[in-house]
Amino acid sequence: MNETSRPAASIDKIESVMRTELAHGDALIGTIIPIMRHLVTNDDSSVFSEEMVARTRAMLEHVAWQLLVAQAEAAGTDKPHDCSREDVAALLGLLSADSLMLAHIHALAAEWQLTERLHARLGLDPLLSPLLQALIASSDATTASAAMNLLAAQARFAQTQRRMQLPLAELPADLLHAALMALRAHFGPDDAAAVKAERAIASEFDESRGRLGLMARLLLSMGGGAQAALAVSHAGAALFLTALSLATGQERCLTVLSTNEAQVARLALALAAAGLKQSAIEEQFLAMHPDVSLPEGFDALDPDHAAAVLASGAGYPV
Amino acid sequence: MTAKSVPQATGLCDGDDRLVSADEPLLGLHLRCGGEIPGTIAIPALLEAVRKSRRFGLKLARPIVARDGSEEITAWIEVEQLPDGMSRITVRHWHARMLPAEIVDAAARQMQVDCDLAELHARLDERQTVLTAQAEASDLQLLAQSMLAAPGRPWFEMVSIEGASPGQALHWRMLHGATIKVNGSERPWRASLVPHIAEHEAPVGFDLYLTSDIPLPPSVAASGAAPRGDGRLIGRDVAPVLRQPIARIIANAETIRTRMAGPLAEEYSNYAADIAAAGQHLLALIDDLADLEVVESEDFSTAPDRIDLADVARRAAGILGVRAREQGITVDAPRAGEVLPAIAEFRRVLQVLLNLLGNAIRYSPAQSQVWIRLSQEGDMAQVIVADQGPGIDAAQQTKVFEKFERLGRSGDGGSGLGLYISRRLARAMGGDLTVESAPGQGARFVLSVPIPPSEN
Repeated sequence: MNETSRPAASIDKIESVMRTELAHGDALIGTIIPIMRHLVTNDDSSVFSEEMVARTRAMLEHVAWQLLVAQAEAAGTDKPHDCSREDVAALLGLLSADSLMLAHIHALAAEWQLTERLHARLGLDPLLSPLLQALIASSDATTASAAMNLLAAQARFAQTQRRMQLPLAELPADLLHAALMALRAHFGPDDAAAVKAERAIASEFDESRGRLGLMARLLLSMGGGAQAALAVSHAGAALFLTALSLATGQERCLTVLSTNEAQVARLALALAAAGLKQSAIEEQFLAMHPDVSLPEGFDALDPDHAAAVLASGAGYPV
Repeated sequence: MTAKSVPQATGLCDGDDRLVSADEPLLGLHLRCGGEIPGTIAIPALLEAVRKSRRFGLKLARPIVARDGSEEITAWIEVEQLPDGMSRITVRHWHARMLPAEIVDAAARQMQVDCDLAELHARLDERQTVLTAQAEASDLQLLAQSMLAAPGRPWFEMVSIEGASPGQALHWRMLHGATIKVNGSERPWRASLVPHIAEHEAPVGFDLYLTSDIPLPPSVAASGAAPRGDGRLIGRDVAPVLRQPIARIIANAETIRTRMAGPLAEEYSNYAADIAAAGQHLLALIDDLADLEVVESEDFSTAPDRIDLADVARRAAGILGVRAREQGITVDAPRAGEVLPAIAEFRRVLQVLLNLLGNAIRYSPAQSQVWIRLSQEGDMAQVIVADQGPGIDAAQQTKVFEKFERLGRSGDGGSGLGLYISRRLARAMGGDLTVESAPGQGARFVLSVPIPPSEN
């Protein structure tokens, strides 16, 4: 009995292994066609448009490059700016393993795309929105100088976005920490130059000086007046997105993503949750998605209900 | 734009996340969230930012949102690491707004769910020491027993609390919602503390509920409560099997009664209340029957100890104080400072007194008074529970201590076993339980137990 059953068992086993492998292959094939269709037929507004992918990769590379340069400078190398392609690629691999990092950078690319689109269609200045202009002209010196600082930061943002760059100082603290951990992982914990570079970057960093911090703080200082920033054509894309994220408690990168055409429900709910009336929500849609109209009876959703529905969405998988 | 200067507050925090100093309004929020000075930062979002700043070695600046029960606070915070290991917190742009009622309701609803699904319930006094505890799940029996065995100890000393060092005295707000490890249980537990607050003052007591998102594995669940002696059919076999389905009936009926799953006609909600009340009655009956079996078994004995009857009496009054107030009845318990030493088992004396006091509250007219008095007769210490109820005539006085004697009452949640069990308990401790009464004169139940030899 045993003599004959053994080969049968091993055939069963190899069969099951092969079936599992085949199923894995099937799952991959299942995703090829939809992704390919998406990539081939995509227009400029897709989250996977070639422009978005290129911008995201370029910003990640820039982050990696800055880390490598800092390490090379700390090591006293002759030409610290000449980093090897291999090093950049390896560090980029480590950085992109962090999904929050990827989400953040992808959202910056999307924000810039929205900024340019609003500029092209509505003539909205990418740097100086009507709201920011009013804030700079404020009689309150603190508000005026905070607004000036923001204008400078927004100008830097526009410049770096055109170059597809992302300075380390503009990263939120959590992500800068993740980037420094990636640097440590790349060179190993005992690399004296990497440790020195890490210390130098950390000691220079001040989250409150970044553009995102400046915007959040300016809006908080306005108290109830921050409601004015919930009009995209008045506040400009950047301040509008920060204000909406503060008003709904949503992560800013998720808020940015909600301006994409495939996420109109999320945007409508976020605007309603932020307390905007139906007519004000329609104005925002007219600016960002002129060919989308709100579903019948949407005005029946009060802010609390909209917030509850919004909270039931998953957002980024973590 | 408004043209007023920005008020700002600073705080200092040591290397163990303890806030050592803070300005208003930061200080007030920290205290309202249950923090102390010095003490661990009690504002969750701020604590997270401080920890991140220290771990990253980076200067953080971001908006935070915090809630203190009635208000939602939005503020801009900056956290900076100082050379001496301290963290400096700067707070700007403080905005408080009242929370919408719906959020406050949602918290209340969550609380209701926790209460209904709790697998351990304990009543605590104002210092969070355990007065009584009862566990449904078999993996919590050990904790419930140690709670009952060591009354007077804070409950949080008997479990380990995630994120807190052992032995630390903790404010209830910081424990509410905490994740807890219990000895003898593999499951993670969540604590819910419901304060009893008398007219805006500090809580006078708490209900503690432990809930877990993970059900007990069937094999463990089936093994039931700790084994007892042979022949105890109800306590060993029947009670564990019955408790769970009945608890579920009560929980679901409560869900329907409180209309948690949606609107429902008033009548149906009332039916559900009846179902829940009947379920509670069944549970109490099972407890009584299990106790009956225990006190009637041949090897039943108590574990006498030196106790203070005055203290037990005060605890019993504390436990039933809320129910008494609901009925408009005043309980006059021994004053703090009064002492009456005795030799008896704490848990059993408490059980007897809760039974006597519960009866007194149940059968007394509204706006009446119930007295708990202490006295000493020879070598016996006595606790007297006296009420202004209808009283009991001489013929009934002998019958009240009989098994299943209801004196013609029905439908009020009694099993007719309480006094029988109480007298058996009293006698097992070398004492007795007697009654003096006349119709219309109220009733005086006297529990007597021996006093310690040295006090004679």
